[in-house]
Amino acid sequence: MRNAYLTYAAKRLAQALVVILLTYVFTFVVVSILPGDPITNVLNNPQSGFTQEEIKEIIAAQGLDRPVLVQLWSSFSGFVTGDLGLSMRSHRPVATLIAEVLPSTLVLAASGLAVALVLAATVAYGTQFVPKRYGQGLLRGFPSLFLSVPNFVIGLVLIHFFGFQLGVFRVIEPDSVWATLFAAIALGIPISAQIAEVLIANLDNEAAQEYAAVARGRGLGQARLFAKHLLKPSSLPVVTVIALTIGELLGGSLITETVFGRTGIGSLVQRSVSTQDLPVLQAIVSLAAVVFVLVNLIADLLYPLLDPRVTLLGGPKSRADTEDGTTGVSPAVAS
Amino acid sequence: MTLTSYSTTPGISIRKSRLRVPPTVTLSFAIVALVLAWSLAPALFTSLSPVNGFPADKLLGPSFTHWFGTDHLGRDVYTRVVYGTASSVSSALIAVVIGVVAGGIIGLLAGFFGGWVDTVLARLVDVLLAIPKFLLAVIVVTAIGFDTINAAIATGVSAVAVFARVMRSEVIKTRRATFVEASFLLGGTRAHILWRHVLPNASRSVLPLAVLHFGDSILVIASLAFLGYGDPPPASDWGLLISIGKDYLKWPWLVYAPAFVTIATVLSVNRISRWLRKTD
Repeated sequence: MRNAYLTYAAKRLAQALVVILLTYVFTFVVVSILPGDPITNVLNNPQSGFTQEEIKEIIAAQGLDRPVLVQLWSSFSGFVTGDLGLSMRSHRPVATLIAEVLPSTLVLAASGLAVALVLAATVAYGTQFVPKRYGQGLLRGFPSLFLSVPNFVIGLVLIHFFGFQLGVFRVIEPDSVWATLFAAIALGIPISAQIAEVLIANLDNEAAQEYAAVARGRGLGQARLFAKHLLKPSSLPVVTVIALTIGELLGGSLITETVFGRTGIGSLVQRSVSTQDLPVLQAIVSLAAVVFVLVNLIADLLYPLLDPRVTLLGGPKSRADTEDGTTGVSPAVAS
Repeated sequence: MTLTSYSTTPGISIRKSRLRVPPTVTLSFAIVALVLAWSLAPALFTSLSPVNGFPADKLLGPSFTHWFGTDHLGRDVYTRVVYGTASSVSSALIAVVIGVVAGGIIGLLAGFFGGWVDTVLARLVDVLLAIPKFLLAVIVVTAIGFDTINAAIATGVSAVAVFARVMRSEVIKTRRATFVEASFLLGGTRAHILWRHVLPNASRSVLPLAVLHFGDSILVIASLAFLGYGDPPPASDWGLLISIGKDYLKWPWLVYAPAFVTIATVLSVNRISRWLRKTD
């Protein structure tokens, strides 16, 4: 078992590193090569307003006159050693630009995730206690409603109600506690829907198992059945779902930050997109991918340790059996 | 419509209970039909112009003459929503087609051939999944230029990975079926089996997913339009309308009207997708 775990961990780690490397190359290709090349596209574009000397200076500073493969190599080796290059616009190190805005986005993403978890747990666990007659269906409908509302609309509704009508927070102070809380709610609601959906499906699945029927037959009430038997097995698989929502948190914060006027990674992306500041975009997208891959790696490595029902399938033969080829983990059938 | 006439046929009681359409699904179909009608023939639903307004009538609240009120230039918001439908709906359609076709081919090849083809394609899918979906759409649309068609392409690219994954696992399931084995034994070529047996069987579960992604694409494209990565005004994509409305929050119908239409559409599409998955 221990050996199987170590092999599994080593395999997942190697896979994660390969994905990070490939993602870097992919991003490099999309960001800098696809639209022709950055020199003609951005620098010589009359709208950018660079003078001829500035263009020469930037080309020299960014090393844009070298062959593409050399550029890719130096850019990637820089990335690995923590040197993210210089911004094409402000000529400041990209790492500094990101470090300046990162804390704000981390606060927003963390509180957004917290809101999502609380909301998802309330809705999903609530379905176990609200009887069918008193609106269980309504509760079950929440996830699909939340999935259908764009998060900028939620943000605007919150700003309209709590900002303008009730005056709970002032829109011009986007970093105040209240404004951050409402931004977190706007970010968290669509994410809570995904978590709640999985949670509800798991709960229904567990409640239909024979052991649950036996427990009910022994005379266990719904509350005790839920707390003693259903809660843990249905909630554990959510760990991997949460890891998957990290990407959504990052993407969603891009919009939420715009709506609430916060400065953060999202607004940096927005600015870099409108000024075509390619090194900044390359760095942010690659870092986002690294974060996503690492978080999912940790979740996949932790999960077999958390859930004793999981058996590790070793060897290449069983790979085809798991529905999702990258994890190689599948919960053993309980019954 | 065929479904309801079918269910009135006497004697097929099992079919009848399976094909009963719940009222919420009927309502969802009605909403989607209305939205499609808006996008095909907007002029039938409103006599006003979406571009030229009457400055004297600016920022009027919703009323019988202006269902959704008027905007800062005195244009009827309902008219703008109706005329924006075509662009919002067709771009979502483009996105889904790109996702289904590209993702479907990747998943089909990976699942059918296995081996190194599978490994290579699986890494490609991993890369597409590793970049946050919305960020991927943003950099793709940055690379190919800001307009609504490009936003649709970017949204489609960001959906490829999901379709590839589902298709792959379905193909692997189908491949192991007895009838596929039988077809091999009867001397069927790989291409024939792939086209005739594996593809149609594996596609079944892709349909509900495609419908679900149609709703999702409407949201992603609206988000891209909201950030200004779609067609510029006077286009009236739903996301763009909401984006314009956010600067006039004192007149909230400018946000709420297009938002309501967007939510109602996506909710209906999701409901239909759920129903399709259940009846499958």
